[in-house]
Amino acid sequence: MVETFDNLMLGFSIALQPQILVYAFAGCIIGTLVGMMPGLGPLAGISILLPATFGLNPIIAIVLLAGVYYGAMYGGSTTSILMRIPGEAASVMTCVDGYEMTKNGRAGPALAIAAIGSFIAGTFGVIGLMLLAPTLAGWALRFGPPEYTALLMMGLFILAYMSGGSMLKTLAMAGFGLALGMIGIDAMSGYTRFSMGIVELGDGVGIVPVAVGLFGISEILITAGQAAGEKVQKPKLRDLIPSREEFRLSAGPIGRGSLLGFLIGIIPGSAHIISSFVSYGIERRLARDPERFGKGAIEGVAGPESANNAAASGAFVPMMALGVPTSPVTAVMIAAIMVHGISPGPLLMSQQPELFWGFVASMYVGNVVLLILNLPMVGLFVNLLRIPYSYLYPGILCFCILGTYSVANSLIDVWIMLIMGGVGYVLRKFRYDLAPVALGLVLAPMLELSLRQSLAMSAGDYGIFLERPIATTMLVLGLVLFLLAIRPLIFKGKDWRSTVGLEEQQN
Amino acid sequence: MTAQTPQTPDKRGLKSDQFSGLLLVVLALYIGWANREYPIGSLQEPGPGYMPLLLAIFLGSMGLLIAFWGGHSAPLRAVRWPEAMRAVVILIACGVAAFALERIGYRLTVIALMIFFLGVMERRRPLPVALVAVGFGFISFYVVADLLHVPLPRSPWGL
Amino acid sequence: MKTRLFFAASILALAAFAAPAQETYPSRSITMIVPFPPGGVADLTGRPIAAAMEKVLKQPIAPVNRSGAGGKVGYAAAANSKPDGYTILIALSSVSIFPEVDAIFNLKPAYTLDQLVPIALVSADPTILVVHPSLPAKTAKDFIALAKKQPNEIAFSSSGLYGTLHIAMEMVVQSAGVKLRHVPFAGGGPAITALLGGHVMALSSGPAAAVGHLRSGKLRALASWGDKRLAAMPDLPTWKELGYKNVEFYIWAGLLAPKGTPDEAIKALRNAARTAVGDAEFKRVMTKLETPVNYLDAPEFQKFWDRDAERLVRTVKRVGKVVTAK
Repeated sequence: MVETFDNLMLGFSIALQPQILVYAFAGCIIGTLVGMMPGLGPLAGISILLPATFGLNPIIAIVLLAGVYYGAMYGGSTTSILMRIPGEAASVMTCVDGYEMTKNGRAGPALAIAAIGSFIAGTFGVIGLMLLAPTLAGWALRFGPPEYTALLMMGLFILAYMSGGSMLKTLAMAGFGLALGMIGIDAMSGYTRFSMGIVELGDGVGIVPVAVGLFGISEILITAGQAAGEKVQKPKLRDLIPSREEFRLSAGPIGRGSLLGFLIGIIPGSAHIISSFVSYGIERRLARDPERFGKGAIEGVAGPESANNAAASGAFVPMMALGVPTSPVTAVMIAAIMVHGISPGPLLMSQQPELFWGFVASMYVGNVVLLILNLPMVGLFVNLLRIPYSYLYPGILCFCILGTYSVANSLIDVWIMLIMGGVGYVLRKFRYDLAPVALGLVLAPMLELSLRQSLAMSAGDYGIFLERPIATTMLVLGLVLFLLAIRPLIFKGKDWRSTVGLEEQQN
Repeated sequence: MTAQTPQTPDKRGLKSDQFSGLLLVVLALYIGWANREYPIGSLQEPGPGYMPLLLAIFLGSMGLLIAFWGGHSAPLRAVRWPEAMRAVVILIACGVAAFALERIGYRLTVIALMIFFLGVMERRRPLPVALVAVGFGFISFYVVADLLHVPLPRSPWGL
Repeated sequence: MKTRLFFAASILALAAFAAPAQETYPSRSITMIVPFPPGGVADLTGRPIAAAMEKVLKQPIAPVNRSGAGGKVGYAAAANSKPDGYTILIALSSVSIFPEVDAIFNLKPAYTLDQLVPIALVSADPTILVVHPSLPAKTAKDFIALAKKQPNEIAFSSSGLYGTLHIAMEMVVQSAGVKLRHVPFAGGGPAITALLGGHVMALSSGPAAAVGHLRSGKLRALASWGDKRLAAMPDLPTWKELGYKNVEFYIWAGLLAPKGTPDEAIKALRNAARTAVGDAEFKRVMTKLETPVNYLDAPEFQKFWDRDAERLVRTVKRVGKVVTAK
């Protein structure tokens, strides 16, 4: 403990050097800007800046990149809340209730709670990283394909809690999303599936163009037709600050989101994407009045936003403690330090203490910087809503095209975004929820691959899921959750249709 | 959201949920059909066609159930499409822009797109339109391409 | 309405006048297609060499990441780009594999190898066999003996089916006549994570990615795929020494250009690459990446590439389609 404290002091003595502080600031600001661009998320942000860090010293490089990463996570929520455009996969769930809050004139509190939740979760994550990295890293490694399969199955069961409308429609949309996820090269057999001869589709349909299309573009298509256009909002200062009630409601979700996000974030791979979905499902399940979800419930912003930020810090645990690039983001970070001749590996922490502790301390600093940066900006961002819609939506469209294109310099992504915009528009007309599509798309390739990897490991024996404790526990837990969710369908007999919600047609 | 009168007494005609449910069934059938060239494999060793087949069956049954229970939903006719024309025009304009992006470069495409939206669709006055369009095109290009070094397409004339 | 159209037209006309006159090569910035995401081997080799070549050519070289489908998207984009000398490609060994895989699945190939011409080889690094410490095999001989004793029991991870790390392992499988269990992952990072976690037992990995784990004892190296021993690991035998003559594999990175690029441009690029590999800054970065520079000029690179492609294609052909029961 004393040692940790000494090390942390060493870290702060590095992170608070004016030169490094400047870079942390710059990283946070650039990250926030990049994150606000529709389609451009943390990965795009740090990829863009990677070459620029080659000339810097390794500590500055990693502090800068971490700042960009964090900033982009914060920035992503802004466009989700104000314009229903998810800047990255993790803020898809924020779109749902965040944007509804904006429509109710509560954009300010939504942004403020998102920033505060992110701050708390981020700080929690850093503390976890600092105290538990070596312990947890070993645990993280135990996540092989079977555990992964179980985790993803659990994510799938969470779907049942995700939407307020008809459960049949939710499941149908999840199926649609999962089916979309089947497009691309099958990693186990090499077959290129459903690609219609387009080479770019070999990697599958990206979540970013689909999310931007389904949520952002479809919203523009629906709104732009309203004759008078959306009425311009004139937020007063009083409306910017969350009410006591909103603070009270957010406390629980932020706490749960932080813990959950951190735990999911540690797991190697891209599982951290599902942390915000899982958090949303849990908050909806725990809420006293789940009907408010989807109509501007502050818990639906607080939970997922905290979860995705905590997951972002959690993802650094295996990277720092083991030196393995477990996700695309950490792969870029590792590349950034490799260029400086530091070989990633389990010895990183003991051989390069100033790098590790400087990094940890700069994450504390970055969190504070982002909170200071973001809270006053809430007023500024909310003022964006004052722009007349007829000027606003062409700009949003151009940004969507720009952002989606520049992720992979691929026009195909732009086309996917436009097509999904049209699809989302039609589906919303028929009252389908779109969030399950995004979750299905994220889950499908990971779930299929890990299931078949598990079977390849065991030569076709399903027993592999029962002889590994972590996997078994998660499967049982997921099954219980699922049974709880569908219990009303089975036990209520005749009137289950009303629970399923098909007859629910309120406006 | 739109004018959709709940529980219209209209008993005739297709209901909206029946229609959308059947659309999903059609999609599921297409997936199943397109999936025929991939080996299914077995439960022990699922092939590339295994998951897609399962999903097609799942999607199809959900579609059928939605259509089956959808008898009480609003009639298809009651789903209003007041913004459909504009939505289609916006999508086509963006499609043209996507087509043009790598041919005439980012700045020209965006300027043309903004002029189309603001000038033609929203009928704003020419001067603000021109200023906003050109300003937006150049400033966004400067920030993204020059400051952030994201390579954006340029026109053959260098702009 | 008319004024608006006129306005738009005049902007377009203005733009048209800005067209530059033809000059000697290079007269504007060159695009370097990197078919992998930032931070990968291609990216980490491509950016420093681009920076070094800029100094010679006096024009910027902009690396553009066109990742997708394991590199196929970028390779196809480069092969089908306008051969004017203003588009070049940083390719890895996998460039030779895709046309063959397309043929196996009766797909129209996204590109063919003769659509690309060499400029220079920048680096070539053999992969090494790393195993989880819990595997009883202490040497490569033990490993083969163990695999023979327990056919289809030892699992190995790879960067993906037909990926470079898979093909390297497959050479050993074919040459030694053993059976191993293949568990493909999406990329080299997850493949090595799975090995560290003991979910699989072996992997053919790039030395740079494994060296940290070797030092800490979390992994053990058994053999290398090189022609001769690695300078950094002189105790590690090569498969060739062990008697497997056909087992030779390199993760190489080289500069290519689309076929039809003017001779003048190729000459300038070759010249720039030759100067660039001697550049102090470039050498410094490559040393830190633990990737030895292995420069070959176009004619020798072509010979090297032909031999390498022949080995890879032969292996891919023998792997063929992975059989699944219909």
